[in-house]
Amino acid sequence: MDRDGLKRNWDFYLTVATVMLLGSIGVQSFAGTLYVWWAQRTVPGWEQLGGYARFIDVMNAIAAPQIVLLVIAMGLCVPKRLFSRTALLGISLVMLIVGAGTWVVAGSLATGLAVYLILAALIQVAVVTLTVAGVRGPSYLTEGRLTKTGSGLLHLGFILFAFVVVALQRSTFMLPVFYASAILTGVGTMMSFYADKLAIRRVRTVEPEREFEA
Amino acid sequence: MDPLTTRTDLSTLIDTLAVVGRPIEALLFVAAVWLLILALIPKLRRWLPLMMGATTVLLVAGEGVLVWFHWRLYDIAVVASPETGVITGRLAVPLWVESEKLFVWALIVGVMALFMRRHRDELLPGTAVILALLLAGSTLWGHPFTMPLPSFLGQYEGYLQATMTSNLAISFPAYQGMEGARQYYYNTWFMWVHPPLLFISYGAFVISFIATMQMVRTRFSAYETTAYRWARLGFLPLTVGMLLGFPWAILAWQGESWWWSGKVNMSIMMWFLYTAYLHGRLYLRKRGMWRWVAGLAILSFVVLILTYLTTYVVPGAHSYALVVPAGEVGLWIAMG
Repeated sequence: MDRDGLKRNWDFYLTVATVMLLGSIGVQSFAGTLYVWWAQRTVPGWEQLGGYARFIDVMNAIAAPQIVLLVIAMGLCVPKRLFSRTALLGISLVMLIVGAGTWVVAGSLATGLAVYLILAALIQVAVVTLTVAGVRGPSYLTEGRLTKTGSGLLHLGFILFAFVVVALQRSTFMLPVFYASAILTGVGTMMSFYADKLAIRRVRTVEPEREFEA
Repeated sequence: MDPLTTRTDLSTLIDTLAVVGRPIEALLFVAAVWLLILALIPKLRRWLPLMMGATTVLLVAGEGVLVWFHWRLYDIAVVASPETGVITGRLAVPLWVESEKLFVWALIVGVMALFMRRHRDELLPGTAVILALLLAGSTLWGHPFTMPLPSFLGQYEGYLQATMTSNLAISFPAYQGMEGARQYYYNTWFMWVHPPLLFISYGAFVISFIATMQMVRTRFSAYETTAYRWARLGFLPLTVGMLLGFPWAILAWQGESWWWSGKVNMSIMMWFLYTAYLHGRLYLRKRGMWRWVAGLAILSFVVLILTYLTTYVVPGAHSYALVVPAGEVGLWIAMG
């Protein structure tokens, strides 16, 4: 398989994995909401007798590995933009090993995830810089420099947001970093969605209209 | 502040709103019925654009009346310390809480439908059906003009009554509750930014959903593009609105596992699903992928509706619902 083919597959499987994780957290959320609704209607004093606290513990325990996997999937999405076939797998593996190593050494999963996210953020900054500079290196599923820059910025925003959730919730840096992530996400989303309207020199690609197969 | 005068002024204001607003509420209900009739009977559809326009004008006029009501409310509803009598602030009740939620959602859908250009004729009937349902819900359930802001006015009435007792043991806790609601709920900038962004996204997602249904019905890819364009318009305010809710949640519910509260929980799920949909459509050229994309788009919208209803059904932060053991749903306000 050629380099582009491998990247496309990597892209696709990562997207499938991400969508499945998002879906599974979604199912858990829905089941949890239904359970609270049912318990509060049928079990007298459910909240006061510790039912709600137990529910929170169980929900957190089920969600934690899924969130960790989601953060890992988000981190793995980053190097695919920049590196070739061999380097892609190598860099992804290094990121995972450094993250897991930090987890073991520091004895804290949150610290491990934070380090992993910092590595992802650094690579993402390089991706965005190269994209803005117009270097041919970074590969995207979308077309157009503005769209690609937007996509790069919004993913950087999400990485920063994940970093806030994982590492900064009790820090004085929480709000400034959070607002930086919100601005990056907002501006990136706008650029990504509306590049055709924001661009000075517009190249209009018209998707041919067709009928989907039955 | 004289609680008796405040009470009289408030009562006059509510009566005036009812007098002005009752015909608007009635007309909106009639408009809902007509929208349904015109949308469902193909022969009459040529009148639908006119009816949609007229309904939107009525909604804008109604919103104007509500803006006036809230402005007067801001003048009248003050909070004063029972110890010193000093006014600590005025209540700036946002225009998208309680009885006004469905009205605002309907208004946004109506305005968006006016600006709808791509596949306008094909999307108008479906949009009209949803607008009619929102209007019916707003007039039959919400009563924004004849039964305005029941939770807020109930709490404020309780506060005024407690103040009139001149007994600090009664009036001080009521003052603390009202002042807390003022500072941390009604008057916060989050309340003036976070919900309207979400309602804008809900409006865009309605039209995106209608376009998706057209795609499923006809299998024509152009409808998918239209659905995507409306979905991206909805996704931007949804993302920014939800992100802005995050620091608010951290500060307001410090130490609580607020992310498992029904409404937050469902909202996060909705965002996940719309993210999955927008990622899924990048692979639309793959064989059979359109079915997954359509499925995700429809599921996302179903979850949007459930997310909205969660506020009224599942107790928790954000919620108006209190389920009593007998199974009746009562009303309360959790954030205050």
